[in-house]
Amino acid sequence: MAAPRPTERPRPTLLLLAAAAFTLLTLHIRGAAPLDAFQQGLRDILEPLRSVTDTATDPIQAAWNGIFGYEDLRAENERLAVELARLRGRSVTDAADSELLERLLGEVGLDYTQTDTVVVRILGTPPGNFGTHRIEVDAGTDEGLSEGLAVVTGAGLVGRLEQVDRSRSTVILATHPEFLVGVRLVASQDEGLARGTGRGTLKIEAGIRMDADIAWNEAVVTSGGRSLLPPDIPVGRVIDTDEHAEYERNVVIDLNADLESLSFLNVVLAHPEGDPLGVESGPTGSPRP
Amino acid sequence: MTPRLRVLLVLVTAVALEGTLLDELRVDGVSVELLLLVAVLTGFHGGPERGAITAFFAGLLHDSIVGAPLGLHALVYPPLAVAVSSLELRMLRSTPVTGGLAVLAAVAAGQGLASVVGMLFGILGQTPQAFVRQAVLAGILTAVVAAPVNRVVRWAATGGLPGTIDIRRGVG
Repeated sequence: MAAPRPTERPRPTLLLLAAAAFTLLTLHIRGAAPLDAFQQGLRDILEPLRSVTDTATDPIQAAWNGIFGYEDLRAENERLAVELARLRGRSVTDAADSELLERLLGEVGLDYTQTDTVVVRILGTPPGNFGTHRIEVDAGTDEGLSEGLAVVTGAGLVGRLEQVDRSRSTVILATHPEFLVGVRLVASQDEGLARGTGRGTLKIEAGIRMDADIAWNEAVVTSGGRSLLPPDIPVGRVIDTDEHAEYERNVVIDLNADLESLSFLNVVLAHPEGDPLGVESGPTGSPRP
Repeated sequence: MTPRLRVLLVLVTAVALEGTLLDELRVDGVSVELLLLVAVLTGFHGGPERGAITAFFAGLLHDSIVGAPLGLHALVYPPLAVAVSSLELRMLRSTPVTGGLAVLAAVAAGQGLASVVGMLFGILGQTPQAFVRQAVLAGILTAVVAAPVNRVVRWAATGGLPGTIDIRRGVG
């Protein structure tokens, strides 16, 4: 260990660095584009290295997962077995649900399955330990993606693109407590602003009338309008109508899409101001350009 | 090689490793905080000022690869490097075990602080229990890889500084 030099003045240096960091942080949060570009550039430089490492470390990762992920794998296997049994037993219910979904989508006048999308593969979580409720996918600006696009599965909304690099993107999941989306209750036609709860559900925090007639299990879709996401993407079903609220109704929605067992996702290639569900759109899951 | 170039080399290597290999090797979803470790060890070996400056740039690099707002980790790492440096001056005897525990505590503190700052700025969506679990696990994992990293950082951080003079035990 080296002794500190007598000329060292850590306090002014520390204050200067803190001020610089705070300034950068403020500028970035206010949306300074050069800072985004700097970060994106750095990630793009690392990208080839990451791809090579991904491939090269596959055997190591398999062994690593074998050691540290065995219990998770067993739990996942058990969960899937239970899920399979449940699905087999619910074939009749599923048929009814499918019919209900089709009917609901018909009611709102859209064909959700005809949305123009890009299929992306989930790579895992972003590097480091900072990102929660976020996943990384293997497509970026090279595939025509941009920030803010909706990410869905066949079951409905999963999240939206938060950060888009050249060949990778980060998706913020709908369950993130900072994820906000405008939603519409299909039967009652009430609209509100839903927020992720961090626990697999969303809560409509504002916009729902106190006297709105909301049914348990009512379907919820995105509202579009001034919302960041396109309209009429299925979000989930109401599991708590909060009918006894005295001041503001907080309706809880269970997400349709199962975020625990995702492998591939679809990115809807249109912002709200576009025509996400229009006739001119290409086929679902079109191959990347 | 000049001391600055050495530190730069260490930072570039650390960012490459953290963004690639270490990202693949996770335990319960948590990975090694290599840049934080470099920041802490630079404070330990290089003194408070050099530690703080290195930690600042380590924080900026970390922000970039994890996708956090630029400046968030750069705000947290320098005070930690200075604190570790100050701690080093107060420690009478350092053994591998105490060193390992100090690294664990420092990394857990850094990870926890970054999470708190992230939460204050509305970026993170974790419960306090998840913060603590992640911080402790990251501390343990990082402490495990600390020994080889320590040698490299000592080589980089002590360049140009006077050698160790163990005056505390009266040995010249």
